[in-house]
Amino acid sequence: MLKNYLRPLVSCALPALLAVSANAQIVGFTGQVLEIEPPDWEFATSDEHYRYLLDKADGGTQHTWDTLPRWDGLWDTAGNNHMDAFIEGGLRGGTVKKGVLTPAYEAAYIERWRQQQEEGQVRYDRLTHCEPAGLPRWLLEPYNHEFINMPHQSYFINDFSNAIRRIYINQEHTNLAEMNGSHSWHGDTVGFWDDNKLITHTKYVMPADFTRWSPMTSNQLELVETWELREFDDFERLVVQVTMYDSHALVKPLNFVYAFRRSEGLEEIGYRVQHWECEQSSNSYLDEDGLTNFYLPGEPGYKDPRATSLFADLPGQTADPYNDPALDSGD
Amino acid sequence: MNLLQRWKFFLVPCSLCLVPVMAPAHHSFSMFDRDTEMALTGSVERWAFNNPHAWLYINVENDAGEIIEWGFEGGAPPQLVRQGITGRTFNPGDEVTIMFSPLADGRPGGAMCWVKLPDDSYVRPADGGCGSRDPESIERWETWLEQGITSSKEVAAQ
Repeated sequence: MLKNYLRPLVSCALPALLAVSANAQIVGFTGQVLEIEPPDWEFATSDEHYRYLLDKADGGTQHTWDTLPRWDGLWDTAGNNHMDAFIEGGLRGGTVKKGVLTPAYEAAYIERWRQQQEEGQVRYDRLTHCEPAGLPRWLLEPYNHEFINMPHQSYFINDFSNAIRRIYINQEHTNLAEMNGSHSWHGDTVGFWDDNKLITHTKYVMPADFTRWSPMTSNQLELVETWELREFDDFERLVVQVTMYDSHALVKPLNFVYAFRRSEGLEEIGYRVQHWECEQSSNSYLDEDGLTNFYLPGEPGYKDPRATSLFADLPGQTADPYNDPALDSGD
Repeated sequence: MNLLQRWKFFLVPCSLCLVPVMAPAHHSFSMFDRDTEMALTGSVERWAFNNPHAWLYINVENDAGEIIEWGFEGGAPPQLVRQGITGRTFNPGDEVTIMFSPLADGRPGGAMCWVKLPDDSYVRPADGGCGSRDPESIERWETWLEQGITSSKEVAAQ
């Protein structure tokens, strides 16, 4: 019923948009409602949770190249439920659930949600400056994803600046202070295989936010994720059950589910992921009124997205030869 | 059906479709007035088919006869190529008509909703900044443009 209810909404939005149902369950353009599968019980820490799963799997499955689940190819995000944890009464006019976030994070989120509801948009978000999506936003970032599994390591790639999560299989967390010195956008992730499920544990993540309409997360965010490729009535999905721990932001751990579906259309037309970054192509900035805004052509600060390099006096230095009138042919 | 009736006809389904929608695409769209529709015709200066968002720049002659360059944000290339929009869809010098949500501060820019190409076909390179995605918007604007209307605010004021 929910699926049918959502059809008219989904049909009038672009595929990359999320649609929202009456009960605040968010689904992707697939229309499939995803179910949370909570852990066997509420663990005090992410370490305890991960160790429990490792023990339950008898130390995990040691896959070889021949037995390893293959998830490569292009994928799109395909729904999640993350707003259910924070908002009640629906996303249009709903209110922030009380007692989910710690007092300081709850107060900050109430103001963010007020902007979203009353002004239609959060005034500014850090992606204005093209900061990486980071975790946990990586899990719902609308750009394409790729999942490359190897026996000793997995690469989870987001087309957004080609941000890569590395999952170190059957290894322990690095000593952050000695080896890296600081938190990072994706933190440090270790994992193991339980048959065809990949269980991961992530720590040392930069403070960030889910999305601009979601709460902030702290530098104590830790995640336990279970990744599994599953068949559904309509098509297969890569489903991710996630428990998030955050002693600064969350009163207790929260459970979420996210999903990805294959981007078959893109692969068929020959689309290929290219490396990109925002220094070349983005003109968004934080303006003096506290809004995300744009520089336009002719304004100080504007960047021509396909300008010449620093060595403009040399031939062949435009980044956009297709439209360079000095060339006989762009092809 | 008069213009006001047409406007109401648009508002009801559109509000159902769009108000609760939260686009995850990239940055905040707070710079756009997503409640207003505008349309302009001009000559393509540049089609920047880039991540994280594509931009279309067109030159438009204003009432004083000056040429003003307008900039319009659209979706990301992987989102657009699924609709058949590519790096070759707009070419310098093409005359196009763009319907868009304008920048709230009045500068010459906005978020593209749809674009009418020189061959009279339409493409929708829109992203979350576009506040109007209803399927009837093209038909509505064909009428409005014939009447010399360039902003939905003119219709709402009638």
